[in-house]
Order: sequence, then C-alpha cells, then structure tokens
Amino acid sequence: MDKRATSLRGQLIRMVLLTSAAVVLLTVSSLFAYELVTFRQTSRQQLGTLGKAIAANSTAALAFDNADDAETVLTAFEADQQIVGAALYDATGALFAVYPKGTPSTEFPAQVQAGPATFRFEGSNLVGYQPVMENGRRLGTLFVQSDLREMSKRMRFYGGLVALTILGAGLLAYIISRQLQHRISSPILELAETAAAVSERRDYSVRAPPASTFELGQLTDAFNYMLQEIQSSEGRLRTQVDHLNLLQNITRAISDRQDLSRIFRIVLGSLEENLPIDFGCALRLDAASESLVSHAVGPASEAHRAALNLEEGASLSTTSNGLAACLAGKLITEPDTRTLRYPLFQKLAEAGFHSVVIAPLFAESTFFGALLVARRATEAFTSTDCEFLKQLSEHVALAAQQAQLHNALQQAYDDLRQTQVAVMQQERLRALGQMASGIAHDINNAISPVALYTESLLEREENLSPRARQHLTTIQRAIEDVAGTVARMREFYRQREQQLTLSRIDLNRTIQQVIELTQVRWSDLPQQRGITIDLQTELSPEPAEVMAAEGEVRDALTNLIFNAVDAMTEGGTLTLRTTVVPADSSDEGGRVRIEVCDTGVGMDEATRRRCIEPFFTTKGERGSGLGLAMVYGMVQRHSAELEVDSEPGKGTTFRLIFPSAAQSLSSTMHLPAAQFISAPMRILLVDDDPVLLRSLEDILKTDGHEVTATNSGQAGIDTFLASNSAGKSFSVVITDLGMPRVDGRRVAAAVKGASPSTPVIMLTGWGQRLLAENDIPPHVDRVLSKPPRLQDLRLALTEFKRGERPSGDARSSAVVVA
Amino acid sequence: MAVLTATTSSVWGLIRRLTLILLAVSTLGATAPQEYQVKAVFLFNFTHFVDWPADSFESADSPFVIGVLGQDPFGSALDDVVRGERVNGRPLVVQRYETLADLKPCHILFIDRSVRGDVTRTLDTLASRHTLTVTDFEPGGARNSIIRFLNEDKKIRLRINVDSAREAGLTISSKLLRPSQVVGNRGAG
Repeated sequence: MDKRATSLRGQLIRMVLLTSAAVVLLTVSSLFAYELVTFRQTSRQQLGTLGKAIAANSTAALAFDNADDAETVLTAFEADQQIVGAALYDATGALFAVYPKGTPSTEFPAQVQAGPATFRFEGSNLVGYQPVMENGRRLGTLFVQSDLREMSKRMRFYGGLVALTILGAGLLAYIISRQLQHRISSPILELAETAAAVSERRDYSVRAPPASTFELGQLTDAFNYMLQEIQSSEGRLRTQVDHLNLLQNITRAISDRQDLSRIFRIVLGSLEENLPIDFGCALRLDAASESLVSHAVGPASEAHRAALNLEEGASLSTTSNGLAACLAGKLITEPDTRTLRYPLFQKLAEAGFHSVVIAPLFAESTFFGALLVARRATEAFTSTDCEFLKQLSEHVALAAQQAQLHNALQQAYDDLRQTQVAVMQQERLRALGQMASGIAHDINNAISPVALYTESLLEREENLSPRARQHLTTIQRAIEDVAGTVARMREFYRQREQQLTLSRIDLNRTIQQVIELTQVRWSDLPQQRGITIDLQTELSPEPAEVMAAEGEVRDALTNLIFNAVDAMTEGGTLTLRTTVVPADSSDEGGRVRIEVCDTGVGMDEATRRRCIEPFFTTKGERGSGLGLAMVYGMVQRHSAELEVDSEPGKGTTFRLIFPSAAQSLSSTMHLPAAQFISAPMRILLVDDDPVLLRSLEDILKTDGHEVTATNSGQAGIDTFLASNSAGKSFSVVITDLGMPRVDGRRVAAAVKGASPSTPVIMLTGWGQRLLAENDIPPHVDRVLSKPPRLQDLRLALTEFKRGERPSGDARSSAVVVA
Repeated sequence: MAVLTATTSSVWGLIRRLTLILLAVSTLGATAPQEYQVKAVFLFNFTHFVDWPADSFESADSPFVIGVLGQDPFGSALDDVVRGERVNGRPLVVQRYETLADLKPCHILFIDRSVRGDVTRTLDTLASRHTLTVTDFEPGGARNSIIRFLNEDKKIRLRINVDSAREAGLTISSKLLRPSQVVGNRGAG
C-alpha cells in the first residue's frame, strides 16, 4: 500500500476529530459571542441601573451643595469592581464630586453637557452619562466610567474553558473514533490484505474473515463471493488452457504424420500423459462387417489390451456393444461401466476402468473410427473433458483425413511423375523414331540391291558351291534382319504394335541361328583381346516351339548375348538354355523357357530394377540403353515373361518364358511363297537411286520383262505419257515414293490420270510405317517396302498380269511380311 | 485612574480642600449676601425634598408660598431664585413678614435672627400648621425649627429635626436627610 496515502485509520480519526472540533468550536464561539453581547448589554444595563440609583441618591447632595455627601454617595460604586471612576457635575456642568475620593479632576471630563442618559463603549471602557433629576429638575450629571476587566477576565475564563472543552472533546472523540475506526477499518484492512494476498500469490482460495458490521459484512461476503467466482472461473480457465495446450501439442505432433497408426498412438500417448487417462484405444470402422476394429492404443495402455479383448485387429460389434449412437456421431459418455451389460463395458469394468468416453471420428461426414478413453474412477470425466475430447476427435479426424489426402496426393504425384517420365521418353522415342525413319529409308535403299541380287543368285545360280550357297543364305538372312531391325525402329515411338505376325518357330533352331550370327562378338573379338568365353548350349531335346515373330526373337537373343559378352570382361561361361515345361492341371498351359546366363560382373539391385528402362545403360558411350528395352518390348508383344536374376560378381541370368505354341490360338500363317514368274510385261521403273534402279532393272529383265528405267519422277511421267500416246503403254508402273521434286504420289497420279487401268506399285524406303498406318496413297495399287523381296514383287506382278485386283487379305499379308 | 494610593488620595484631597477654602474665602470676602444667595437656593430646593399635605393648599391652583419673617437677609436673591419656577404646577410666591403678627400661612418660613426673641412663639404657633420652619441659628427653646442652616467649614449644612417635621405634618425625603444632620427620633413616626 502506498505509505504516502493517508491510512483509513488516520482518515477516520482525523474526520471525527475535525468534526468534533468544528462542532465544539462553533458551539463555543456562538456561546462566546452570545456571552460577549449579553455581557456588554448587561454591563450597560447594570451601569445604567447603578448610575440611575446613584444619581437618584445624589440629588440632595447636589441640591444642597454637599460634595462630601455626594462623594459618600458615589462610594456606592465600590460595589462594582469594574467601575474605575465616577464623577458628579452640578447643574452648570462643573465638576462637583469624584469617585474614588481624591481622584484628580483631570481624570474626568472638565465639563459635561446636559443631555439624556447615555451609556456607550469607548475603547475598552464603558462610559455613561446619567442626568441627576429631582422632580423634573436637572440638578446635575453623573459620569460613570467602567472598564471591561471583568469582561476580559470572563473571556479568559471562557477561553480556558473552551480550550479545556476542545481538549476534552478531542480526547473523547479520539477514543471513540479509535473504537469506531477499529470496527470499520479492520474489516476493510482485512479485505485489503486478502486482496493483496490474492493478487500477489494468485491464490484465490483465501477468504476474508467475516466482518462484524452489517454493511462491511455484506462487503466481505460480496468480496468472498467474488473470490469464489474468480477461483472457480480461474480453475475452469486453467483447465481450458491446459486442454488447449494439450490440443495444440497433439495437433502439432500429428500434423506432419501421415501414418494413421502413428497419429493414433501419439494422440493416445499424449492423452495418457496429460489429460490424463488410464486407458486409450483407437477404433477403426470396418465398413464390411459394420464393426469397430481395434487399431492402436497408447503406450501405457498396451498392458491392458489383452484383458480388454482389444488386441490389434480385434473386432467389436457396434450393435451388440451399444455403439450405434457413436456411429451416428454422438459422443458416448459412460460414468459407470459396472451398470452396463454390453460386453465391451463389462470387460472395461472387470479391468477396473469405470468411466468411459467414446468420441466418434468423422471425415467428410463419414464415420471412420472412434477414440475410446477410460479412467478408473467412476464419473471421472467432466463435461469439460468431454468437450475437449469432442474437439480432439475432430482434430484427429482432420489429421487422419489429411494423412489420407496426403497419401492420395503423393500417389497422384508419383503417377504424374511417372507419366511425365513416360511422356518424355515417348517424346524422345518419337524424335528418335523420326530420325530412325530417315535412316531406315537410306538403309533400305542401300540394302535393296544386295537383297535382290542375293535372292537372284541363290535362285538362279545352280552351280554355286555349297559353301557359297551357305554364305549367300547367311547374307540373305542378315539382310532380312537388317530390314527387320530397321522396320522395328519405329517401335520406339509407337506405343502398341498394330499387329504382330506370329509364326510357329522352334526356339532351339533360332538359338542356333543367333549363335551363328553373333559368333564374331562372343568368339572372335574376345579372342583378339586375349580372353576366352566358353559358350554352352543346353537345349531341350524336344522342339521348343512357340508362336513368335522370329526376327524379333532373334534380335532379342542377340541383344542378350551381346550384353552377356559385355558383362564378362575377364572371360567366362555363356550358357544358352531352353526348357520346355509341359502343361499341367494347375497351370494354364505349357511354357517354353529360354535362359541366357553369364558369369560376368552381375548387377546390383538398383541396376537390376532399372535395366529394362529405355536409355538406361551401364556401358557409357558404347551403350544405347535400348537393348534390353527392345527385349522387354518383344516379351510384352509376345505375352511372354522376362525374369532377371543377378548378383554382383556372380553373373546374370535373363529368362524369357513363352507360352507353348500349342496354346497359342492367334496365329497368322505364312503365305507360301509364290515361286512362279509372271509372263513378260512392259514395266516402267521410276527411282532416283541409280544403284537400286539398276539392280531392279537387272532382276526384272532376268525374269524376262521389258523394263524401262527412269531416274526421276518427272522423267518417269514423261516416259509413260510418251509411250502411252505412242500406243505402247506400260502394263505396270513401279515407282519409288520418296524422290526429289516429283515424288511417287505425283507419278502415280499422273499414270492413273493418263491410264486408270495401269497398275502402280509403289516402293517405299520409309520402312513399314506407311503401311502400318494404312496410309496407302491414292492411285497406288500396291505398296512394297524396301528392300523389295523378289518373291513379293513377282507375286504382285503375277496378280496384275492376271488382271486380278489384289484382295484385302492378300495385300495385307503381303504387306505385313517384310 | 484606576486605583489611587492612600497617599496620593490624601495629597489630592488636601489640594482640593485648599481650593475650596480659597473659594469660600473669596465668597465671604465679597458680601454676606453670597451666603444668602446659597440659602435662597436651598430654600427653593426644599420644595423638592419635602411633601406637603394637600390640605396645606387652599385650592388646587393655590401658590406655594415661601415666607421670610423678620428682616429679609436675601435681598432680591430669593426672588431671583423662585422667579418662573413652579412646584407641582403651582406658582411660587415669596412673602415677607416683619413681625409675628404679620405672619400669614406659608409653606416654608425662614425665620431671620432679627426676630430671635419671638422665635419660640413663632415655632409654637406654626407647630402644626404644615409649615417648614427654617432658621440659621439655635432657637434655644423647647421647640426647634425643622431645618437649621449650619455654617460648617465655610459651607452651609443642614440640621433637620424630624420630630418637629412630624409635628408639622410634613414628610421629609430621606434623600434630604442623607446630607443633613438629623435630630429627634427619626424612627418614630
């Protein structure tokens, strides 16, 4: 308390003292004034009366000139101590007698005027003039002078009395006020002390002692009531703050968790520690069985799980446990589980948990679980607790929902990223495909003469040595593979194979071919580097027949062998193995397994997982990253399976598992090659590639046809029109598609414009793309891909010679077989 | 002027007395009539301190009579004193009587020493006649005048015989008795 401020005690005492002093002073002053006034009046009256009496007695003395007697008469003034002087004047106004006797006449007025009786105060004296009359005659005048000694004496007495009174009254007032003040101020001071204690210690449990007086008692009661209110509201506030903190902590703890179980465990753990609760369990709704499944419990609750039949995954029927209300979104509060007959609550009661609250968890208005919390005491959950649990359950539900959303988002993000990668690869493949198309065109053009001449040699030169014939056959097969490889380049930018022509092939035979084709890589080149690769074949005794595009399979195997050789930098064993797995009852059908095993460096897990991704390579500049991708593409197109076993340092095994041929239903049979040559025809050849032009001309002439070769589109058109107008029209026109300035389309248009019946065969070096897209240009009767196979050419010419329009099937099959 | 010491008082008293003596000497030194002027005033003043019964007047407006018996020592002084004065509404009259024989009823009678021989007789005559008898000598007989002037210390003093006054049927104011010598039985009456 501020010491400079006057204390209540002091104030009260001062008030009482001042009041009583003022009252006493006022009273005494008025008494004093009254006394003064009355004293003066009385003095005047007394002096007047005395003067009159003395004057009356002085008449004879004056009348008979007896000054002695007059003075005797005047001695009567002795009776009044205040009268200090008196004198008688005769009728002429001259001094006659004085009192006290012998007083010098100078003490009195020398002369007096005749006048009425007057008494007045002059200074501190009362002065009176009283005429001396006898029978109406004025005999003289009496002069009286009285000083106010008496009055001042009396005033002094009064003053003393007043001082004493004030002193006494003050003392009395002080004593009384002390008593009163004690009764008033002590309750107030006690209130103040209580208030100070409350504000200093924040202890709202203290109470002011009851006061004796009614008003102060009321004040104290009101104060105590206020304290009680503050205490209770402070308690509520503290609880709410605690709850809020807990809620915040929990929310913070679970906000970045995406795992529902972890979220639940954190929440329940926090509740166990801080709310606190004795048991906490999260239940998850199993929508199928409409029951709640025990999901997670708090760390401290683990011990009770078994006793409560709430092991993870334990199911609780909602209907037989009275939990239907919870599903409807209501918070279930059970103050005493012993009174309930539901098995869940009975278990809880047996385990000693008597109060239970079950808070539902809702995500987007859908019930998905509940929080079950229990305490040992009965009626242990207050409404504040319930409110808190309700809020908490909302937060938890939100967090759970967020976790789910987060996971969904993560999934979507991953999908998107994969899609993006796929799109990017697609784009790269498309670019590559376009490039490959150009390359394919040039390669096809380049190998066309080789193909034509090789085929022609094998067909016509009967006296070829067996060795030459075998070499020529190998060349022919290699050319076919080159053409096939070029044709498959487009697969890099094509999502799906439009149509795959499968034929029944014996994989054992294919493997032999591949070994032959790749001998340079696995035998010759390693030997040059001084290492040895031991090639072993473990082929099945029975034919390993599958339905497949042989070229693709061959390519795939070639790739696998190349990879195996590359992996064995220090040499090793390359094993090619085929296994025929017959169909059994459980399996759907038989399988043919090809294994390519090496004893090379092997792959670690990461590499193994990524090895079939396009453009993924471990070979640096040397590798395209497309080998295994092509293998995988082949496997997919053949509904086969690819397995990779690898161990770093031990080696790698690639396993291709094909369905057995017997099981393959969809197969397109090879058309038997038409080995006949049509009757001689007049043929116009148009191609800007002189080597191809020359080889085609040679081959066709060998077949007995009359061939006119032109080396540009415009020249072809001119030649055709010229001979047409000359009446020697061509029976068929074979034109290249891609030519500078005037291309095959314009040539075809011009030919059909002049002679609609003349068939036009178009050769295209753009691989099979054009054909696959069914993009047969108008005015063209047949499209043949480069390098043209002699057989295909002959078949087409034979058809046109017979005047037949090629059927769709025949055309498509002719087209597809490239 | 509060309290004078005894010494001071006596000194002042002495001075005052000397002054009075000087005054008296001077008065005496002038003429005898000075004394009678005072006595004339006294005679007039008696009218104020003595009550005369109503039957001493013939009528309601009868004058108040002051008589002088014998040789008049006052000269005109007495006349001067009473001139214009009234007593209880009555006019004042001065009458002079040569001898006893001339004497007429009057309310105050100054008996001059010139009729000293007749004074006893006169007094006897007037004994019960409501007349205030005044002398300035000692009559010497059985009967005294009611008031006698005394010369005392140069001042004129009065001696009042209350018996004579009672006999004359007059009431003398006690005031008058105060400054005077009183003889006779004051209490009886």
